[in-house]
Amino acid sequence: MKDAAVNKKPAPAGLLNIVKTYSFVLVFLVIYIVYASVSGGFALGAAMNVFRHSAVIGVIAIGMGIVCLTGDIDLSVGSMLAFVAGFSVVVFNQTNSIPLTLLFAVLFGALCGLINGVLVGIVQMPSFIVTLATMLIYRSLSQYACQHIPAELIGNGSSVFRMSNALDSYRAFYAFGNGKVAGIMPIVGLIMVLMVVLFVYICTSTKFGKKIYAVGSNARAAHLAGINVSAMRTLVFVIAGALVGLGAFLWIAMNASADPATTGKSYEMYAIAAVVLGGIAMSGGKGRILGVLFGAMSYTVIDKIIIALKMDSLINDTIKGVILIVVILIQVAGPQLKARFGKSKVVK
Amino acid sequence: MELLNMSGIYKAFSGVSVLSGVELHVNVGEIHALLGENGAGKSTLMNILSGSYTADAGTVTFDGADITGSSIKQIEDAGIAFVHQELNLFNDLLAYENIFLGAEETTPWGSLKKRDMANKAAELFERLGVDIDPYALVDDLKPSEKQLLEISRALFRNAKLLILDEPTASLNTDEVEHMFQIVRGLRDKGTSFIFISHKMPEIFELCDTYTVLRNGKFIANGNISDTTPREVTNLLVGAALSDRDAYEPRELGEEMLRVEHFSGEGFTDVTFTARRGQIIGLTGLKGCGSSELMQGLFGIYHPSGGNVEVCGKKLHGGSIHEAMGAGIAMLPADRKENSVIPDMSLLENMYLSEHVLSARSFAINTKRENERFEKYGKLLNIKANSSADNINSLSGGNQQKVFLARWLNTDAQVLLLDNPTQGIDVGAKSEIYHLILDLARKGKTVIINTLEIPELREVADVCYVLYEGRVVKELAHDEINEQTVMLYSTNSAA
Repeated sequence: MKDAAVNKKPAPAGLLNIVKTYSFVLVFLVIYIVYASVSGGFALGAAMNVFRHSAVIGVIAIGMGIVCLTGDIDLSVGSMLAFVAGFSVVVFNQTNSIPLTLLFAVLFGALCGLINGVLVGIVQMPSFIVTLATMLIYRSLSQYACQHIPAELIGNGSSVFRMSNALDSYRAFYAFGNGKVAGIMPIVGLIMVLMVVLFVYICTSTKFGKKIYAVGSNARAAHLAGINVSAMRTLVFVIAGALVGLGAFLWIAMNASADPATTGKSYEMYAIAAVVLGGIAMSGGKGRILGVLFGAMSYTVIDKIIIALKMDSLINDTIKGVILIVVILIQVAGPQLKARFGKSKVVK
Repeated sequence: MELLNMSGIYKAFSGVSVLSGVELHVNVGEIHALLGENGAGKSTLMNILSGSYTADAGTVTFDGADITGSSIKQIEDAGIAFVHQELNLFNDLLAYENIFLGAEETTPWGSLKKRDMANKAAELFERLGVDIDPYALVDDLKPSEKQLLEISRALFRNAKLLILDEPTASLNTDEVEHMFQIVRGLRDKGTSFIFISHKMPEIFELCDTYTVLRNGKFIANGNISDTTPREVTNLLVGAALSDRDAYEPRELGEEMLRVEHFSGEGFTDVTFTARRGQIIGLTGLKGCGSSELMQGLFGIYHPSGGNVEVCGKKLHGGSIHEAMGAGIAMLPADRKENSVIPDMSLLENMYLSEHVLSARSFAINTKRENERFEKYGKLLNIKANSSADNINSLSGGNQQKVFLARWLNTDAQVLLLDNPTQGIDVGAKSEIYHLILDLARKGKTVIINTLEIPELREVADVCYVLYEGRVVKELAHDEINEQTVMLYSTNSAA
């Protein structure tokens, strides 16, 4: 009886409820208004540019989002991005084929994710430890390979995987990475948005998506309801890996190269921050994939604010960190203050 | 000489009376059995004695002093020690460290006198006849040794009265015998014990005197030597009356479930069959293996032997998915832990299991799911405003109905219900019984595991009593009554 009373949320007014559910939109708008005011007004081109610069981290953060929905975490995504991007460059240089490069990137990413997934879901090791280890492994392998494979495979670069610009498809590939649809929307941004739409659909309207939430909400009950919890936990890592693969494909399309030492550095942290800012509970079972999109874009806009203000980019992470704390502080402290306020009213 | 005198104890929780006018007298140097069914008020009484609760009325005198309303600390200092069922030991500390915890001996500079403490612990163990290495890590000790360590710790602090709450639950026969020897030895030296157990043979082997509680009331006390297990059992359950009007015999259909020599973790060599429309009850004391048997049938654990057939089709066992596919459903005990998906709506909580079986069609047809929810809502009389409400907004009884709907939705023919009325108030309970009877009339086979015998009297066509993992007795509907069931579930029939 007592538990039921505690868990029962007081029904807030409709509007307040909507604001609470979609607070990530509010956060994004506030940050964007700051950006618009320091960069001299709203401009469509600048707004669309946000999509371009959010593309890779956005796609990765979607994967992180579904991993977090099951209550796990994937620290390896940044290293995996460098690993997959590097070898995708090699595949492109060998095959001169964009579709084959895409196929390789997604499958190789899925394979990297499968290693995480099997260790977490089936062997039942803690995801934090497993992905911490693979984070070290994937980046190290990427750097090692870059130094030790024949130079022509990596576009004659020394410490960077470089796409060979002598190939027929190079121009088309680079145009894909930097082109715009109808002269406005960056292609890579559109792909990210399509992925968000796809995963919002999966998480809200499919049986598979609901099972992800069920596993994160109460794994034991989900198991006893017949859900194969081990398989679900493995699968979300595979999907997250495949999305990193797609992100790696976008990365090389945009940059024509991948640096094993710096590509994707700290991306796991940005992805987690985007997920948290987007309102997904790290304990699992709660949150929306749509929030991840806004979380990722919020961080891109912060980058742009710092550039617009001509500040030292080294202050970047300080601001990102502070915003994360402030937003979560409001979410956590708000109800506590309300509870205290409500209580004192009763005493009087 | 009287050591403890509790008299006229009353206690109510939020208006519900739990103890009314309970008496308990324990003399110096005796082992006193405190007897009662689950929910009779034993734990509440012991919690009042140990100071965790305060009685609403009544007096407690101990060793000549009035200790009514004292704090836990004061009561400990007076010499009462509670050895809990879940032991209060620190598994990551050594045996002697546990004994001295909070009363460590130190040098003037504040460092621990480790060797002194270990030597004193060794002396204590020797005096008690307990064979424990003071330097052993508690985690490495056997359950029986942990129990004895906890008793030793209490005695080290000069306890005069020890409360042992089902101390033999996790011990094997030899360990029980060893522990009883030590307890008897201590009694002869003047320590008193309150012994809480459901196992009749143990009580008659060990105890000197007894008190029986039923429904929070004092029923009887006396010397063990003046009574018999059968007489005590009758006192325990009383001449309980129950209306049987809900039950009526049904036509049974073909054989649905055949279980032969089925064994696994916690149950051994179980054989029975169930027919369409039949309601089978499983019962026994806590830990008798009936819950494990159900989990084995549902494929949660791999069985170690035997056969299970559903509609003539053999199951390999060890797979929930296989059991579900064969038409078995299980409503697990402990709803909050094992059934509730707390972040999801009523509708989502309902359709999850069916979606496991129909995973090939990927998308959710919300309209059809809502129609189904409505259908089961009507059938089971679920009281909810909207299928989009959170599961935690419902009362326990209504939650349980949603989970029943979860399994009916999979079109299961054999329903395993593990303690389905746990934590549900009385009104909702009788509603659940009627639903169970209704489902059986519609052709479902129901197997219900419960420790509450009145519940079985209401619904079961046949009842199997388990003791230590084995079926010891099959009772037909008319034979099910509390005396008989108690007799077999405590294994005191022999």
